[in-house]
Amino acid sequence: MTRIVLAALGVVVGGYGAVLLWDNPPVILVRIVVWALVAVVVHDLVFAPVCAALGWSSRRLVPVRWQAPVALAALCSVVLALLAIPVYGKPGLRPDNLSVLDRDYVRGLWWSLAVVWLCVPAYMGGKALKDVAFKRSRQPLPVGQDEVVERERACDIEPQPPTV
Amino acid sequence: MSPQAGTRAGEKPAPLRGTAITARVGLALGVAVAVCFVTGLISHFIQHPQPWFFWPTRPVWLYRLTQGLHVISGIAAIPLIVVKLWSVWPKLFERPVIGGFVRQLERASILVLVGAMLFQLSTGIMNIAQWYAFEFFFTTSHYAMAYVAAGAVQVHIAVKLPVIRRALGEPLEQPSGELPGVPGLSRGLTRRTVLRGTWLAVAVATVATAGQTVPLLRKVSVLAPRTGQGPQGVPVNSSAIAAGVLRTARSPQYRLTVTDGAVSRAFTLEDLQAMPQVTHRLPIACVEGWSVDAEWTGAVLADLLATVGASPDSDVRMISLEPPGPYSRTTLPARHVRDSQTLIALRLNGEALDLDHGYPCRLIAPTRPGVLQTKWLSRIEVVP
Repeated sequence: MTRIVLAALGVVVGGYGAVLLWDNPPVILVRIVVWALVAVVVHDLVFAPVCAALGWSSRRLVPVRWQAPVALAALCSVVLALLAIPVYGKPGLRPDNLSVLDRDYVRGLWWSLAVVWLCVPAYMGGKALKDVAFKRSRQPLPVGQDEVVERERACDIEPQPPTV
Repeated sequence: MSPQAGTRAGEKPAPLRGTAITARVGLALGVAVAVCFVTGLISHFIQHPQPWFFWPTRPVWLYRLTQGLHVISGIAAIPLIVVKLWSVWPKLFERPVIGGFVRQLERASILVLVGAMLFQLSTGIMNIAQWYAFEFFFTTSHYAMAYVAAGAVQVHIAVKLPVIRRALGEPLEQPSGELPGVPGLSRGLTRRTVLRGTWLAVAVATVATAGQTVPLLRKVSVLAPRTGQGPQGVPVNSSAIAAGVLRTARSPQYRLTVTDGAVSRAFTLEDLQAMPQVTHRLPIACVEGWSVDAEWTGAVLADLLATVGASPDSDVRMISLEPPGPYSRTTLPARHVRDSQTLIALRLNGEALDLDHGYPCRLIAPTRPGVLQTKWLSRIEVVP
């Protein structure tokens, strides 16, 4: 019942949007629909395959231990790059208004990417230190142990499991 | 690949993609879309008032909040939609390609959903950077497509509800490919990592842009279209040059005419300066999501209207020196007209208004979109 009501409501709301769009002259309507369809095609047949290919190859090139932080950094980089598209070359800049697009976006993007990727070795370094401390202590860790164990990978398995 | 890397013999990693991720990220995306839709409607109805629509004058930062949220949640939706579409992308190539009627209907509904969502996000993020590469009017198409997107989301949730319920009820990680009882021990990249990475990407996207409305983030929002700076410490959306008021705004013949029916009075800038001056700290909050607080000084609108004997219970039309256009005349609802903080501002942050901020005088009222804070006022008419 919930589903039927929700679907019916969705059809009404979406239909209202279609009616509003229909108010546009045909040539404008075509431009709007084409914009939406091109966005879908660009995502499905360009953006997604490129991301998939990068993911596929890095899963084979990057050591397993490094894969998680590298994947996270890659996702953050993709998002930063997407956000940079409308500002990077300042295509909307107009000489009469200097309060729009008033940053150095080239520097902003590259610095933010640098910070993101510096987090990868920093994370790995921190993890290595933790592992060393863990191995030295050889004692059950009362608090936060689960977290440490969870972060371990196949290659981290010790000769003897920690006593609980 | 390092020798020790890789999975152990006999283990096959469980696929990362799956409904466990789709449903969780989808839930967050649904929240972002709902916030966007509601705040967008609020902004629309302030600009196109309906008799049933109530918009208060307090707190003065209310529109700053709703419109800031609109753009922040829209930007947060970008990493969410990237991950969500990643999690279902292989379904695009599932067989049979054609299938039956029901399958075609479902695929068509998803095409509408994804198309409308990508339309909204792409036009929205281009609009806040004032990049009008599309050859259609932004406001009307973004508004209409919002209903299409919202409707498609509702249909999508209705269709997928059992799948969503099941996925949310199950643990995130699949047991296969892991050591028994030790989740996440065996692989480099787990679903939990993907999910945490998604939230991290949302945080990164927000921090990189939200500084145009959140002063605390101003320095680190390296991709925000605005730093929040501008003439007299306030950004500008429409400049005096763009509005074509360079000559008229500086003319010695400048007068502000205030009329109520047959009664009419013309004020020179000196007349306005001679009126009791009040200073209020009010935000200017643009539909494009940026906002700043500023100190505005000028005459209280209600005082000005009292000089022509107008009742403070009518709507008032604000007419700019700007040649006729969508924002050259706006209507201020009676609730805002009688508000004691609604000013005809002459000064901004202690200086005479900059030409780009509406010299000689402009409207500044609480909880109003910047685009309705009419600049370069030439006429104030009480709406009968």
